[in-house]
Amino acid sequence: MQPYTVVMVSKMRQTAAWLVAAGFLLTWAPACRSGATGGSENIDVALLSESASIQPGRPFRIGLHMKMKDGWHTYWKHPGDAGLPLRIEWTLPPGFTAGPIEWPAPEPIPTGDLMSYGYGHEVLLAVTITPPARVATDSARIGGAFDWLECKEACLAGSAQLDVTLPVRPEPPPRGRSAPLFDRARARLPRMPEGWVLTATAGPRAIELRFQPPSGIRPSGGTFFVEEPLVVEHGAAQGFEPSAGGYRLTLVPAANAANPPQRLTGVLVLNGVDRRKGSAVAVNVVAAPGDPSPAPPQSPKRNWPPVPLYATLVALVGIVVVVALRRRAARP
Amino acid sequence: MLRLAAIACFLLLAPTARANAAAIVGKPAPAFDAVDVDGKLVQLDAFKGKYVVLEWVNFGCPFVGKHYGSGNMQELQKKFSERGVVWLSICSSAPGKQGHVTGDEAKELIAEKEAAPTRFLLDPKGIVGKLYGAKTTPHMFVINPKGILVYNGAIDDRPSTKRADIKDAKNYLTAALESSLAGNKVEIAATQPYGCSVKY
Repeated sequence: MQPYTVVMVSKMRQTAAWLVAAGFLLTWAPACRSGATGGSENIDVALLSESASIQPGRPFRIGLHMKMKDGWHTYWKHPGDAGLPLRIEWTLPPGFTAGPIEWPAPEPIPTGDLMSYGYGHEVLLAVTITPPARVATDSARIGGAFDWLECKEACLAGSAQLDVTLPVRPEPPPRGRSAPLFDRARARLPRMPEGWVLTATAGPRAIELRFQPPSGIRPSGGTFFVEEPLVVEHGAAQGFEPSAGGYRLTLVPAANAANPPQRLTGVLVLNGVDRRKGSAVAVNVVAAPGDPSPAPPQSPKRNWPPVPLYATLVALVGIVVVVALRRRAARP
Repeated sequence: MLRLAAIACFLLLAPTARANAAAIVGKPAPAFDAVDVDGKLVQLDAFKGKYVVLEWVNFGCPFVGKHYGSGNMQELQKKFSERGVVWLSICSSAPGKQGHVTGDEAKELIAEKEAAPTRFLLDPKGIVGKLYGAKTTPHMFVINPKGILVYNGAIDDRPSTKRADIKDAKNYLTAALESSLAGNKVEIAATQPYGCSVKY
């Protein structure tokens, strides 16, 4: 059994990081201190800024950059069957406000029959900070307490206190060194489905999402990441098939849902589509009551033979062999 | 020979069929038997006529740590046991996975944490867990005296690992048991459980 540990950034490590950062800044950098780091053994975290300074009244982005060790992951805003999304408690200068976390499209994280939604490898979770129209100080410190859950096979609670101090300048801010990471994260954000036709129908046997992408987008498959709990069975295979003028994706309704959902909200991620053309779109549509039929699950990797039948065949062959050997052994 | 093959087929296919069964609120709770920490067989049917709580547990999981570290889970166990409720803690962690315990290890942890379940069941093959569709630790179920499932879901409405969140949380399990014991319908009968995934 593994011990339950809450991973905290040690004060000492943080102080050491600050000393190093301070020394670095004194000798080289302009008045911008960004990238205080900390985190856990399994995830490197850093609070980054997209811009190198703050202009009063002009919103800018701050982001928690998480780099996971092999096999470790964190969670999307709806974690699926198990997990927990990032929680931030901001400490901001007076008059500054923080927007919601801008969640990039998640990845499926299967463990056995269970399915979670989250991020492996790397993710930047950005938040838009809006400074007031007048800022009296010549620098501003953006900080917060960050809490997350990190899992590989085992799960650990992770937390860190991080902050970034940026100079306040009257002119529009130049891009910071971390700006390319923000560009990459932006490309992973689900897009508004402009030019798409989306409809949903919910029934006892299936929840159906029909969609018609703009011309030139021809997905080979797709996954829907629902963002509300108790709507679908997260671990159930999803159906995907072309249908009149578009595509039809089907989901298995949650066994314990009191009623079929009245809206379907989440992110549709398409396979075989260039990310620049929009491989992930935000879905928020009325789910009309009905009785859509389940579709065959999309091309599984091992189509034949199905595992139980395969196991039965192996067992039968085994039994025949054992019986034959015993009979032979029983002969004088 | 044919009989052997038939038995083999049944044995091989049976777990799949059972895994597809689910614990649906308002329907009969699936019957099961499992061994407890002393190796004694426990059958769900033996508790007909009483309320039964099923609690999925993994002492290596920080969400379980939240509810045991604060004493919240033990308090619930004691409070409802005194009112005749049967409390079954179930560990479905597979051997080698986080939270797996032998009977003796479980007994040590129960003593250390002063846990007070009626019985603590070992489900290393995940048979009971999959039968109920147990997804997280903790994941709570309530079965009424007629054997009908009346609650399936989270322990409370604060998905977090922070003990400080317990104080202001709405405890769904308490609400379900209090309503049931008072002869009323459970208002919130199904919620999404939160926690670590069950380590099948």
